[in-house]
Amino acid sequence: MSESTSTPAGIDPRGPRFGAVITSVLLLITVFLGLDAATADAAFVLLAVITASFAWGATQGTAKHPYGLIFKKFVRPRLAAPKELEDPRPPKFAQVIGFVVAGIGLVLGAFDNTVGLTIFAGMAFVAAFLNAAFNYCLGCQIYLGLKRIGIIKHG
Amino acid sequence: MPIEAKFAIIAGLVLLVSVVGLIWRARTGRSKQIAGGEIIDLIEIGATKNGQPVTKFGERVTFLQFSSEMCSQCKQTARLFHELEQHTPDVLHIEVDITNRLDLASKFNILQTPTTLVLDHNGRITSRIGGAAKPETIQDELGSFHI
Repeated sequence: MSESTSTPAGIDPRGPRFGAVITSVLLLITVFLGLDAATADAAFVLLAVITASFAWGATQGTAKHPYGLIFKKFVRPRLAAPKELEDPRPPKFAQVIGFVVAGIGLVLGAFDNTVGLTIFAGMAFVAAFLNAAFNYCLGCQIYLGLKRIGIIKHG
Repeated sequence: MPIEAKFAIIAGLVLLVSVVGLIWRARTGRSKQIAGGEIIDLIEIGATKNGQPVTKFGERVTFLQFSSEMCSQCKQTARLFHELEQHTPDVLHIEVDITNRLDLASKFNILQTPTTLVLDHNGRITSRIGGAAKPETIQDELGSFHI
């Protein structure tokens, strides 16, 4: 990453959390639909939408994501100014992790493995819910671990 | 699957993750005492402050914060220590980015950022704070150095 030498402009830390609230609700619905063979197709479609949403956040960052824009237009004006701004790269990286996990679930679903789809949707829910409810960024947490075991090579 | 079972699974999942989150929140940012800790080599860790190499430890205590590029809590932790340093004599804060210093990450077994090592005036590690340091943790650490 060429931008690693300088820190980009900060974002309101509540923006990514707002998105995580929506994402965790959608993922929980996906898990619910995935528990029944009769609604497995609906789970697949919903997970496809969520995966596309993660892809958007992973490439454009959470501030330019539709949830980020909704936050900026409708939610932020009602809140007090944030105590401090946050680096946009960690939440963007977390979106990459979300994309990978949801994407694996989607691929499994495409091969009619509804149990696999549901399990990966559940794993993505865990991360999104921890972020939404506890401000705990699981994706950021495992960044160093992934680097240490050599999965991420670039700086 | 009966609808009750599905709702039970959903409720169980939310409950389980909530418990994990509560445990994480209770544990993060607290300090763990280190007995017989090693002495930090300022040259090895490449410690700099305001662009200058750091050559001396704090007169009483040094907070050595390891950060990384993808870290949501590093900035606010650094700000907390920076304010402390401004208002408290004999306290030094050093921040080292270990994104590209994986040798340091494995040497000090750092799995999360921020991780802060608390050093005495000789640079010996006395405790370790995993996660964003809680203000009361910092106060306790200062108390143990009679500050």
